[in-house]
Formats: sequence, C-alpha cells, structure tokens
Amino acid sequence: MNSPNLPVVSEGSRLTPGELHSVVFARAALGRRGYDEEQVRNFLQYVERELVKIFTDKAALADEVNRLRSQASSGSRGVMAPEDAHFQAVRILSQAQQTADLYVADAERYTRELAHEARLHREAILSDAKGRAEQMLEDAHRKAAAVAEAAVRTAPPQAAPAPRPENLPDADRLALEREIAYLRTYSDVYRTHLRSYLEALLRNVDEWESSERASLPGGNA
Amino acid sequence: MDAQRLKASFAQVAEKGDAVALFFYSDLFVRNPHLRDMFPIGMSGQRDKLLRALGHIVSQVDDLSNLVPFLQQLGRDHRRFGIVAEHYPHVGASLLATLRHFSGTAWTDDLESDWTAAYTLVAKVMLEAADENALTSPAWWNGQVVAVERRRFDISVLRIQPDRPLPYAPGQSVALEVPSRLRHWRYYSMANAPRPDHTVDFHVRLVDGGPVSPVLVRGTQAGDRVRMGAPIGTLTLDESSPRDVLLVAGSTGLAPLKAILEQVSRRAVPPRVHLFFGARSRDGLYDLEDLAKLADGFPWLTVVPAVSDEPGGHGFSSLLQSGDDGIEHGNLSDVVARRGPWDGHDAYVCGPAVMVGHTVEQLTRLGVPRDRIRLETFADAQR
Ligand SMILES: Cc1cc2nc3c(=O)[nH]c(=O)nc-3n(C[C@H](O)[C@H](O)[C@H](O)COP(=O)(O)OP(=O)(O)OC[C@H]3O[C@@H](n4cnc5c(N)ncnc54)[C@H](O)[C@@H]3O)c2cc1C
Ligand code: HEM
Repeated sequence: MNSPNLPVVSEGSRLTPGELHSVVFARAALGRRGYDEEQVRNFLQYVERELVKIFTDKAALADEVNRLRSQASSGSRGVMAPEDAHFQAVRILSQAQQTADLYVADAERYTRELAHEARLHREAILSDAKGRAEQMLEDAHRKAAAVAEAAVRTAPPQAAPAPRPENLPDADRLALEREIAYLRTYSDVYRTHLRSYLEALLRNVDEWESSERASLPGGNA
Repeated sequence: MDAQRLKASFAQVAEKGDAVALFFYSDLFVRNPHLRDMFPIGMSGQRDKLLRALGHIVSQVDDLSNLVPFLQQLGRDHRRFGIVAEHYPHVGASLLATLRHFSGTAWTDDLESDWTAAYTLVAKVMLEAADENALTSPAWWNGQVVAVERRRFDISVLRIQPDRPLPYAPGQSVALEVPSRLRHWRYYSMANAPRPDHTVDFHVRLVDGGPVSPVLVRGTQAGDRVRMGAPIGTLTLDESSPRDVLLVAGSTGLAPLKAILEQVSRRAVPPRVHLFFGARSRDGLYDLEDLAKLADGFPWLTVVPAVSDEPGGHGFSSLLQSGDDGIEHGNLSDVVARRGPWDGHDAYVCGPAVMVGHTVEQLTRLGVPRDRIRLETFADAQR
C-alpha cells in the first residue's frame, strides 16, 4: 500500500486510535488526481487496529512489570524457581537440537538424492556410450566388408601386397586376400570412428573433472 | 542393587523413546556446556546408540560374565573420544536426572540408590579398562595420507602412515576420523598385513549422501591428516586350523580379506586358498588387476571374479571388454556355491549385509559348520 500523506498532527502530541478514527481527509477536486477514498479508509482502519494492539500490549507489560516489582521487593519467591529455569533451558536446548538434527537429515537426504541421480545419469551415459561403440563397430564392419569385397573383385590378385601364399589353391588364396583386405579397411575405418568418438568423450571428461574439482570441500584448487 | 527393579524401571522409561536420550543430552549440555564440543552436530545417531547401549547394559546387569567384556570394550572405545575419569560423574548426574524425570511417581529412594550403584559400577569397569589400555596403547593414532589412488569414480585406495606402529591382526578395522568431518568416526578395514614401514591401506567406497566416505574417496589427497582409534574385529585368520581357506569378498569387503591373504602368503607352506571377489558390474572389481598378479605368483591361490548385474558378454560388446575371460556372472553367493564343495574349508566372508547373509546361508546349507565361518558386514548402504 502506498503511504498516504497523513493530516498534520500537532508535534509532540501522541496519535491515539480515537484521533485517527476521527481524521477526515480533504477530498480531491473533481477531475483532479486525488486520494482513493476507499484506500485511505482501509489504511486508517489498519493503523487503528495496530495502535489498539500496541496500547493493549503496553498496558499488559506495565501490569507485569508492576507485579514482578512488587514480588521482587516483597522478598518472596524468585522470578522463576531455578528448577524451572533448568527445565526451560533443557527444553530450549532439546528443541534446538531437534532442529539441527532435522537440518542435518535434510541435507543428507538431499545429497543422497543428488548423488543417486548423478549415478543414474552416469550409468545412462555409459550404456549410451557402449551402445554407440557397438553400433560403430557394426558399421565399420559392414563398410569394411563391402570395401574388401569390391577390392577383391576389381583388383587382380597380384595387387595384394601381403606375403604371397604361393602354394595355396586359388580359391583359398582368394579367400585369404579378401580377408586381409577386409581387416585392413576395417581397422582403418574403425580407428577413425573411434578416434573422433574418444576425443569427444575426453572433452566431456575434462569438463566433468574441472567442475568436480571446483565443488570439492576446500576447493583444492 | 535389585536387578529386577532396574530392568522394570528402564523398561518404563524407555517407553518414552527418543525423548529420553534427547532430555539426557540437553540436561548434560545445560549443566556442562564444555562437553558439547565432544559430540557431533547432528545427534540422532548418537541418541540411538546411547539408548541401545543402556538397554543392553540393563538387560545384562545380572550376567556380569557377558556384561563386563562389553563394558571394557566400551571403556577402551571412549579413549579416542577424549573421555577421561572426570567426565563420568557429569554423565552419571544427568543420567540420574533423566531417569528421575521420566519415572514420575515411580521414582523412589531405593530406585535412586539402585541406579547410582549400577552407574558407579559401569563407570568403574569402563574406566579401569581404559586405564589399563592406556598403559600399552595411545588414545588414538595420528596418520598422514601418503598416497591416494582413485580406482573408480566411487572407490579409492588410501595409504596412510601412522605416527607410531599400529599393531593389528590382518582382517581387523579401525575407526577413522577426518578433519573436515570432526566427531564422525567410521570404521575401515586395513587391507594389508602389517608392513615394516607400518603403512596401512584402506579401500573406501563412497556411500551416497554419507558424511565421511565421500570425503575420503573424492576429497582426500597425499599430505592430509586423519586420526585412527584402536584396531577391533574378529574377522581374523584361525592360525591353528589345518584346513584350506575360502575368502568371499563383496566390493570393498575385499579389504580385510586381502590382508588375510597376505598373511597366509607369508607361511612356509600356505594352504590352498580360493578368493571370490564380487561386484555389481565389471568396473566394480576395482582391485582385480592386483589380485590377478598375486594369483599368477602363487600356485596355491585361485581368484574367481564375479559380477551380478551384467549379463555374459556376446558379440561386439564382449570384444569391447577384452580380457573378460574368467569372470563369472551371477550373485556372488551362487557363484561360490556352484564352485563347491567347501566343507573342508574355513570361510571368511565380508561385504554388504545382504551378500554376507546369503553367502553364510549357502555355505551352511552346503555343509560348512557355522563355527568355521567368520564374517564382517559393512554399511548397509553399500551396493
Ligand atoms: C567393521 C567395519 C569395517 C568397515 N570397513 C570398511 C571398508 O574397509 N571400506 C569401506 O568402504 N567401508 C567400510 N565400512 C563402512 C564404513 O564404516 C562407513 O559406514 C561407510 O564408509 C559410509 O560412511 P559415511 O559416513 O559416508 O556414511 P554413513 O553415515 O556410515 O552411512 C551409512 C548409513 O547411511 C544410511 N544410508 C546410506 N545410504 C542410504 C540410502 N541410499 N538410503 C537410505 N539410507 C542410506 C545407512 O543406513 C547406513 O547405515 C566398515 C564398517 C564396519 C562396521
Ligand atoms: C555408562 C556410561 C556410558 C555409556 C553406556 C556410553 C555409551 C556410548 C556408546 C554406545 C557410544 C557409541 C560408540 C561408538 O560409536 O563406537 C558412545 C559414544 C560416545 N560417548 Fe559415551 N557412554 C558412556 C559414558 C560416556 C561419558 C562419561 C562421556 C563423556 C562425556 C561419553 C561421551 C561419548 C562421546 C563423545 C561419544 C562419541 C560420540 C560420537 O562421535 O557419536 N560417554 N557412548
């Protein structure tokens, strides 16, 4: 609520609930900007209630002070029996301890949940990586098989630089050469795939490690 | 001292549950604020322990042959917390105040003198054991981390140099405290037989959300300091036995069994040893490389790794996991059972509670007498 400009109250005198109740605001001229009557009234009611509360509290406190003063001067029982004071202290400490326990338990549960999620996340990443690696292998395998097949079909057998298995029958030699060509291509294709994949993975791990180091207790950095 | 009266009194008070220990500690700390620093910030675990211990003590108060060793151990354990004789009367006073508070009208002078006598006796036994222990052993050992090897994102092997020799039997554990988690003591097993340079290895596995293990696994480096209590534990080698040896380890439960393995290897004529090492997945077998090396060097040793959560590899994935041969698949206890019979063996089992429970069940079913099986269980949260 915006604070309205209250009507001037003479300096020094205290504002009372009654005074406040009888305050009348001047109306704003027609067509001019002025106070919202409804809002002003609401505000005044609010202030009035607050003042009533403060006055009652003040009276109660004054009574209490008087009561305690007379009790203390009459030399009877102390303000509070030491026994009671001890139990109160024990109760307060117990409550504080329970609050502390609650905070500790909450914090532990929270980190446990976080860690659990991170663990699931990690497992998902790993199984995803495994799946991809497997896919890559199969991919490489298929490509290599196709390339090897093509190589053997187009090139004459002499083109194969492998140590020539001279005294093998033609069919066997052809199969062997095909195998060699396959393995070469396979390993080339696979290595390329794998290298780029591992590089991506390493970049990931680097980020991971550095963010982890930053979050360790004591920073270590 | 009337044992029956004490039991009835404790039963009545214990009905109020956690409120009892809560009141006790608050009373203790209001009267003696300087004692607050000796306890952890979060106290719910500590309250459980106190009530359980008191219940145990009261239930055995007329069976001293069982109670006394328990109290002696408790007294020795309290040395590492820095507890000395002058602390005991404070605790006694608050205990009495608590019992009185929760007994209401049931509290009588007789009951008060019963409780006073019981506490005095308990404190005396604990203190005498502590004092006797002090003649031969420090209250704690300071240690310095000399090496950390991260084996997996959640498993590290730490090597620690104690400031003086730490005498222990392979298979035992010590309570350990790290500076960034003061008052949180956790047990870890020494993973090696004692060495001439007195260094000890620990295999630590991170428990999600735990206060201590994440610090040890991920936040510790060479040069860091720790404190260690006195060694405890009964998972130790039966030196008098002529039988062959079966070791069954789940995850970091390997640590104490590896120490026992080392002890066996120092014998002139080692018995035959089978070591089963299980984890959920292959990368959980964090120490397999080293174990395989040992198995290569010792003809009397067979190492069987096992994983429970990964199916046997086929096709391309098995190609990716080269060197997978020899890894068994299935629950560790089943894998062990498949390789039996074990009735001529002494068995040592360590790991998560469920795994240890199943293994002991299987072994006894297969005819291994229960008293030839020694075991230790770690935190239940271990997977
Ligand atoms: C004799 C002995 C020897 C031990 N040796 C080893 C060892 O060699 N290597 C090793 O790694 N550990 C060992 N432990 C376990 C170790 O003491 C610690 O308990 C563990 O490292 C975890 O410590 P922490 O403080 O992180 O968590 P703790 O506070 O000990 O956490 C474990 C507790 O948290 C609760 N908890 C954890 N996670 C969850 C969850 N997800 N959901 C619900 N509750 C959960 C469990 O109730 C459990 O009691 C050993 C334990 C004992 C008793
Ligand atoms: C009848 C006497 C006592 C009993 C039955 C008792 C019981 C226990 C138990 C069961 C534990 C847990 C032990 C563990 O985690 O290894 C413990 C821990 C502890 N006790 Fe006592 N205790 C007694 C006396 C005392 C006294 C006199 C003090 C002095 C203040 C004290 C202070 C502690 C502290 C500081 C811890 C460690 C708390 C923690 O790290 O969680 N105890 N006590």
